[in-house]
Amino acid sequence: MALLELDGVSKAFGSLKAVDGVSFQVQAGEIFGVAGPNGSGKSTLFNVITGIPFGPDKGRIRFDGTDIHGKSGNDIARLGLARTFQRETSFDGLTVFENAVIGAGYGGPARKSVAVREAAAEALEFVGLGPQQFGRLAGELSVFDRKCLMLATAIAMEPRMLLLDEPASSLTKPEIETSIGLIRRIAGRGITIVLIEHVLTFLMSLSQHLLVLNQGTVLAAGDPKTVISDPRVVEAYLGTRRPDA
Amino acid sequence: MTDAVAPAIPTRAVPVSPGRTPWKHEAIGFAIALLVLALLPLFIGDTYSRHVLIMVFIYAVVASNWDLSLGYGGVFNFGHLALFGIGVYAYSLLTKLVGLDPWLALFAGGVIATVAAVLVTIPILRLKGIYIILVTFGFAQLVMQIVISQSAITGGTQGLVRVPGLYWFDHNMIRDGKFAYFYIALGLLVASTIFLRVFVRSRLGAGVVALRDNEEYAISRGMSLVRQRMITLAASAFFTGMAGAFYAAYQRNASVDVFGMSLATIILSMVLLGGASTIYGAIIASFVLTVFGEAMADFGAWRPMITALLIIVVMLVYPSGLVGMIRAGWGAIAVRMKRTA
Repeated sequence: MALLELDGVSKAFGSLKAVDGVSFQVQAGEIFGVAGPNGSGKSTLFNVITGIPFGPDKGRIRFDGTDIHGKSGNDIARLGLARTFQRETSFDGLTVFENAVIGAGYGGPARKSVAVREAAAEALEFVGLGPQQFGRLAGELSVFDRKCLMLATAIAMEPRMLLLDEPASSLTKPEIETSIGLIRRIAGRGITIVLIEHVLTFLMSLSQHLLVLNQGTVLAAGDPKTVISDPRVVEAYLGTRRPDA
Repeated sequence: MTDAVAPAIPTRAVPVSPGRTPWKHEAIGFAIALLVLALLPLFIGDTYSRHVLIMVFIYAVVASNWDLSLGYGGVFNFGHLALFGIGVYAYSLLTKLVGLDPWLALFAGGVIATVAAVLVTIPILRLKGIYIILVTFGFAQLVMQIVISQSAITGGTQGLVRVPGLYWFDHNMIRDGKFAYFYIALGLLVASTIFLRVFVRSRLGAGVVALRDNEEYAISRGMSLVRQRMITLAASAFFTGMAGAFYAAYQRNASVDVFGMSLATIILSMVLLGGASTIYGAIIASFVLTVFGEAMADFGAWRPMITALLIIVVMLVYPSGLVGMIRAGWGAIAVRMKRTA
């Protein structure tokens, strides 16, 4: 059974159809890539799936067999569906350790405070933020470390699925390489990953399935190599060749 | 960042609150401050000075609890003083009309203010910024109008007089030079401060800050906006209501002045001057502003102007308030001591 199923999901802002009748399935344990040019509706898709900050206008979303349409964002998170945001996001007034405690304590399974602290510390170590970083204020971290911290807070929730919104944006090439390794290790924990990314090489190196959105609709979906060689995908990314060129 | 999977950290190696002042250090500082305050009446001979200190303690409780919702929570709750007023009238009506024991009424003042805070949370659950100010300010006005309109019970604009005071066995609390009220007020401040510090350093307290820093991110980590905001306001209300009840018991009257902008402005100045999100800052500022105000009593109309100027200068030089000023001073001393060593 698919872990995540979308069936005819739509979201409009006035006359603009940001997501228009999108349907797909994500199987448990896979890394599922979502690509598309700017404004194609990728981030809006994550928003409607997670209910943060809004749900869909139409359509059905099932997570692990449960219909999550209409559920609040925090309820969806507690079902085991975590997400990250395009911009590096943190609770700047809290320490690195407290950031992870928020994920472990509010989003994770019910557990005693010692277990919450253990889960938080383990998640931080997992992403490479060692004990020497625990006491630093999150707002003082570099962009890369804040992205890692955002991943740690999600991992601390012990989610079944993680939606990653452009994890490579604003990163240097070596940092992107490290991120690829980290995402693989997160998948190795048994967490299903849905990944939005602009950088196609990033997506290609990780995804087992690829879906391309264009103007809110599904342009192509399937095996990544087949999808990126689809002429419609090439046209959406690169445009059409001028007849006189 | 490494690609190797990090081993789980054993329980004993996981620190409780890395990067924060250890509990032991905070407890020592707290105990020293408490000892100094407790010994003050022995060195201050006149009753009026003890009265000023009692007012400082009351203001400190109200300001530090406001810091919880405003500073830590980022909730622009301009109805905080209404919670204090609810405590004043709850105590006065329960003791004067119902005949409830004053100590029970003191506690009831806190409980009723907490219930009121939960009720006011409902209309502001989905609101942000200026809209929260509008609704909470409207709540304060509504409470005041209810008090004024129900004059048969509340005394309206005349207020209530001869409100029963607190008692301590057979001790005469009226003619003891305000010693008993001093220590009760100090006890209230101590209980409130311990509660606030434990709260803000707990997971719930971290949740309050998380929701202030980034609402959507906090929700994505499983936090309920409704539950968290309700907890924030309710937690800041209990001791505020009790402080109101104590104020009524101490002054032995209840007046609608407690709902006015004048008192709200003074308390808000204490929160901001002390340094938001510190708890201790609001308490220190309560001392500074009240004592400074008393020292400037002879300056008449110049007094509020000089006070306002002082606040502006401190905030310009130290945007994080008096606590920021103290930290900067302490840092400079530490550097100098290191150099000397």
